[in-house]
Amino acid sequence: MTGGAPRRLRGVTSPRPEPKAPLGRRTVLATGIAGAGAATLVGSSPAEAAQRAGTPVFRHGVASGDPLPHGVLIWTRVTPTPASTPGSGHGPPVRVRWEVATDERFRNVVRRGVFATGPSRDHTVKADVTGLEPATWYHYRFRLDGVTSRVGRTRTAPAHDATPDHLRFGVVSCANWQAGYFTAYRGLARRDDLHAVVHLGDYLYEYCPGEYGYGTSDTNIRRHQPRHEMVSLADYRERHAQYKSDPDLQDLHAKYPWIVTWDDHEVANDAFRNGAENHDSGEGPYRPRRARAHRAYDEWMPARLDGTAALGDGDRLYRRLRFGKLAELSMLDLRSHRDKQVSTQLPAPAPQPVPEVSDPDRTITGRRQLQWLKDSLGRDRPQWKIVGNPVMIAPLALQGLPDDLVAPVNAVLEVLPDDGFPINVDQWDGYTDDRREVFAHIRNHQITDALFLTGDIHSAWASELPYDASTYPVGDSAGVEFVCTSVTSNNLKDQLGTPAHSAPNLLVEQVLLANNRHIKYLNFDDHGFSVLDITAKRAQMDWFVIGDRADRHTPITWTASYATRAGTGRVVKADGPVGR
Amino acid sequence: MCGPSPVEPVEASDDRPFDVGLAEVRTGRRTLLAAGGAGLLFSSALGAPARAAGRPTRKRAYVIVVDGCRPDEIDGGLTPRLQALRNGGLRFPRASSMPVMETIPNHVMMMTGVRPDRSGVPANSIYDRKLGDVRTLGRAGDLRADTVIERLNRRGLTTGTVLSKEYLYGVFGPRATHRWEPAPVIPVSGHAPDVFTMNAALAMLDEFDPHLMFVNLGDIDRFGHVDLTGTTLRVARRLALADTDNLVGRFIDRLRSTGRWKHSMVIVLADHSMDWSTPDQIVSLQPVLDADPLLAGKVRIACNGGADLLYWTGSPGQRAAAISRMRALAAGVPGVLATHERTQDWLRLGPEAGDVVAFCQAGWRFSDPDRLLSNPIPGNHGHPATRQIPFFIAGGHPRVPHRKASPAHATTVDVAPTVASFFGLGAPRGGWDGHARL
Repeated sequence: MTGGAPRRLRGVTSPRPEPKAPLGRRTVLATGIAGAGAATLVGSSPAEAAQRAGTPVFRHGVASGDPLPHGVLIWTRVTPTPASTPGSGHGPPVRVRWEVATDERFRNVVRRGVFATGPSRDHTVKADVTGLEPATWYHYRFRLDGVTSRVGRTRTAPAHDATPDHLRFGVVSCANWQAGYFTAYRGLARRDDLHAVVHLGDYLYEYCPGEYGYGTSDTNIRRHQPRHEMVSLADYRERHAQYKSDPDLQDLHAKYPWIVTWDDHEVANDAFRNGAENHDSGEGPYRPRRARAHRAYDEWMPARLDGTAALGDGDRLYRRLRFGKLAELSMLDLRSHRDKQVSTQLPAPAPQPVPEVSDPDRTITGRRQLQWLKDSLGRDRPQWKIVGNPVMIAPLALQGLPDDLVAPVNAVLEVLPDDGFPINVDQWDGYTDDRREVFAHIRNHQITDALFLTGDIHSAWASELPYDASTYPVGDSAGVEFVCTSVTSNNLKDQLGTPAHSAPNLLVEQVLLANNRHIKYLNFDDHGFSVLDITAKRAQMDWFVIGDRADRHTPITWTASYATRAGTGRVVKADGPVGR
Repeated sequence: MCGPSPVEPVEASDDRPFDVGLAEVRTGRRTLLAAGGAGLLFSSALGAPARAAGRPTRKRAYVIVVDGCRPDEIDGGLTPRLQALRNGGLRFPRASSMPVMETIPNHVMMMTGVRPDRSGVPANSIYDRKLGDVRTLGRAGDLRADTVIERLNRRGLTTGTVLSKEYLYGVFGPRATHRWEPAPVIPVSGHAPDVFTMNAALAMLDEFDPHLMFVNLGDIDRFGHVDLTGTTLRVARRLALADTDNLVGRFIDRLRSTGRWKHSMVIVLADHSMDWSTPDQIVSLQPVLDADPLLAGKVRIACNGGADLLYWTGSPGQRAAAISRMRALAAGVPGVLATHERTQDWLRLGPEAGDVVAFCQAGWRFSDPDRLLSNPIPGNHGHPATRQIPFFIAGGHPRVPHRKASPAHATTVDVAPTVASFFGLGAPRGGWDGHARL
C-alpha cells in the first residue's frame, strides 16, 4: 500500500556488469552423508582473510523457508571478499557447504551439500534440502572456507495425513526500515512456541531517504541504502542486504522457517500488472523493473518461486503449503496479475459510485490465480483453509466520518476519496467481481473454515466476511479475516500526529465499526506482530504491540485476541493470548 | 427438497411404507407391542429378546440424526445441549454429507458404510426405468447392501430404529430387532414430530434397551423446508432447533440417570444441511431439454431439490451424444452450479442415479418437471452448498475421547464402520467405503 510518500523521478539504472563465473547458474549438490567429504576446502582463504579483516562472511545471517513434510529451503549470503558487497557484482565464484542436523551441535548431521554461488546471483545461497522427516526441528549452518555461519533452526511441515494438535505462526507485514526498529521481529524471535513465521508483504520499501519515514515529518530513524529509490537490480540487492543486516530480523530468520509473499513495496508502491503508482517512464519500462525486483527477491528470500529454489525459472509466487489435515496455507500474489487500480478522484462534493470496481473484466488475482485460489478453497483440502492475503478482502464502507479525518484515514487505508465515498480501491474492494466469485465459490460448495490472513494496512482487524454486508449480521459469512498491523510502517496516529488511542483516532475506529457490522476488532494506532494459533476447534489471533518505533528497546505488550470457532465463520473475543 | 413433493406420483397404497409395515404385523412376520404409556407402538422381529440386558455386552451405541442441521447452528445459541455434547466429546469440524446430499441415501450410508453404487440408494427420488416413472426410494427392497443393523443382529445383539420419516421407515423396513411404528405422522411432511419421536426413543430405551439404536429427528429439516424466512431470519427453523435440542438433552439425561452413559457411544450428526431460495431463484431443466431436437421427450428428471438426476430414455446408441447435450444445455441455465456425468468415479452413485447429475448454486433450487408445481418450498438440499454437517461422538464409554476435535474429513458413510468398530465387528465383504472414527 501507499506510504503517502512524494514521488521521486529517477533515471534508469542498469544492472551492473558481473564477472563471468565458471560455475553454472545454480548448482546444488545434495550429496547426502555419503558425499560429505567431497567438498573439502583448503587452508587460508579470501573468506578467512575477509573475516579477520572485519568483513564477516555471513553478515546477512541465515534463513529458512517454505517448509514441506520432507524438505525446507535454507538460505544465506556470503561475502567472500571485502569487495563482494551486495549489488556490486564483484567477488569470486565460491562453493558454500551446508549441513543440516537434528541437534544444535551437529553431532547428528542428516544432510550435507555444496552450493555454488557467485556474483551472478549476488553471492546468495538457496538450497532446497530434501529427505527430511516431517514435523521435525532441524539445525543448519553454512561454511565457506574456514568460516562457519551462525546456526539456524528450522522445522519441517507435518506429513500430509497427520493430524497435528495445533499450529502456531508468527504473523507480520509492512516493515519500513526508515520508520524505526524491528522490535516486532525481536518479539517473535524471543518466543519458542512457533512453527513458522508468515510475512504478508512489504518486507522492504523502495523509497529513498527522506521519503516515507517516521510520522508526519517522515523522519528517518534509519536511512535506506542505497540513498535513492531502488530501481536497478543492484539497488534491489543492496536494499535487501540492508534489511537483512538488521539484528532482530536476522534472529527471527534464524529461529523459524518463514513463509513469505510480496505486496507492492517489494517493487514499487501500488503496483499492478503493468505499472505502479511509484513508477514512471523516467525510470524505464515497468516490467523490466519488476523483473529485476523479482530477481533480487528470488535471490534474497527463502521462498520457492515457480515451485523451485532455482533462479530464472519464473516468478510465480502464489503457492500452497500444507500442514497435515489441519491446515493449508495458500499464499497469494495480488500485485503481479492485477489490473490498474481505478481512479477515485471524483468530483466533489457529491460522491459518485465507481462502477469500474465491479467490472468483471478487471481482476486483482488474474484468472489463473483465481481458479487456483478456488481450488485452494476446495472441499477436499485440509480443515483450515488459510489464505495468505496481501491486501484486505473484507468489504469496508464508511459514512459519517468528519471531513478533517478523511485525509489521514486515507493516508493509511486508501479507503476514501476526498469526498468520503467508501471504496478501498487498492484492495479487494477495488475488484469486487473477483471477491464475489471467491465468496460465491465458498457459498456454493459450503466451504468452512476459510481464514484470510492479511497485512498491508498498518492496523489490526478481526472481521467476518459477509455475503451481503448491507444486511449483516442477518445472513451468513464466507469466513473470517485477521489482519496484522505493521512492524513499523505509519498508521493512523502517525498520520495524525496524535498520541495513540486519542479521541480522534478512537472516533475513526468507532465510526468504522458502526458502519461495518462484520468488523469485530480494529486498532488503528499500534505497530507490532501477531500470533496465529490453529487447532481443530478454533483459530485464534493474538495481537502484540510495541511502544515507540524509534526506540530500539521499546517494550512489547499483548493487546487483544480474537478467535473463530471451527465451522462458524464468526469472530469472537478470546480471553488471552496463547502460549503464555 | 427432502420428501416427496406435492405433485410426486402417488404410489399404490399397498406400496406405502406404513402399509407395508402393517402388513408385516398382520401376516405375523413381526409382533406388535404398545409401550411407553402414550400410545406408542413398536414392532419386533419374531423371537427377538425382550431386552438386551445381560446379553453379550453392556456397550450401547446410539446414532441420533438431527436431520438437516447445519454445523454453524450448533453454535448459534439455540442448541446448548447439542453444543455441550459436541464440546465434551470428539468432533469433526470438516464433516460432510455425501452426494446426493439427501436424507435417504445418507441414512443408508450411515447404516451400511458403503456408497450408493453398492447400496442401490443414491437419492431420495429416482426415475425407476422398470416402473417408467419417478418414485421415492422408500422400499426395504431398494436397499441392496448389508447394514450394520443386520450384522449386529446376526452377532446376537439387538437393534432398534426410531425413524420419524415415512420413507426412512420404509427403506430400513424390518431390519431392526425393534422398530417404532411412527405416529402421529403429519400428512404433508410425512414425518412424526420430534416430541413423539423422542418419546418413542425413550420408550424403546426403557422397554428394549437395544445395543444399537438409530434415531432420526425430522423437525429441523421439515421446518427448514417450509421456512419462508429461511434466506434471512429463519424463524421457524430456529424454533425447531431449540425444541430438538431440548429433546436430545432429555435423551442424554436418561442415559445418565439410568447408568447407561458410561457404557455408551452417542454419535450425533446430520444427513445434510439446508439452503434457502426465493421464488425467483428456481431452475427448471425439463423445458430446456424438451426444446432440444435430440432430447425432446426422451429425458426424465428426478428432482431432488438441490440436485436433478437426468435419465436418457431414448436409444442407447444416442446415449453418449445425449449426455453431452444434456450437460451442455443444463450448464447454460442460470442457477446451475455444475453438471456431471453420473459415471464419474467420485460420485459413486450407481445406475439408479441416471445419466447426468446437475447441482444448483447456493440460493437456488430445482423444480422439475414443472417449474411452478414440482418444488414450491424454499428450503432445499442435495447440492454442494448443503454438504457440511455436524458430526460428533459423545458418551461415557472409555473409547470415546473427551473434549477433542479432529481435522479428519468424517462423512456419513463413516457411521457404520465406527459402530462396527465399537462392537468389534470387522469390515463387510468388499470392505467399508468409510472409516471408523474412534
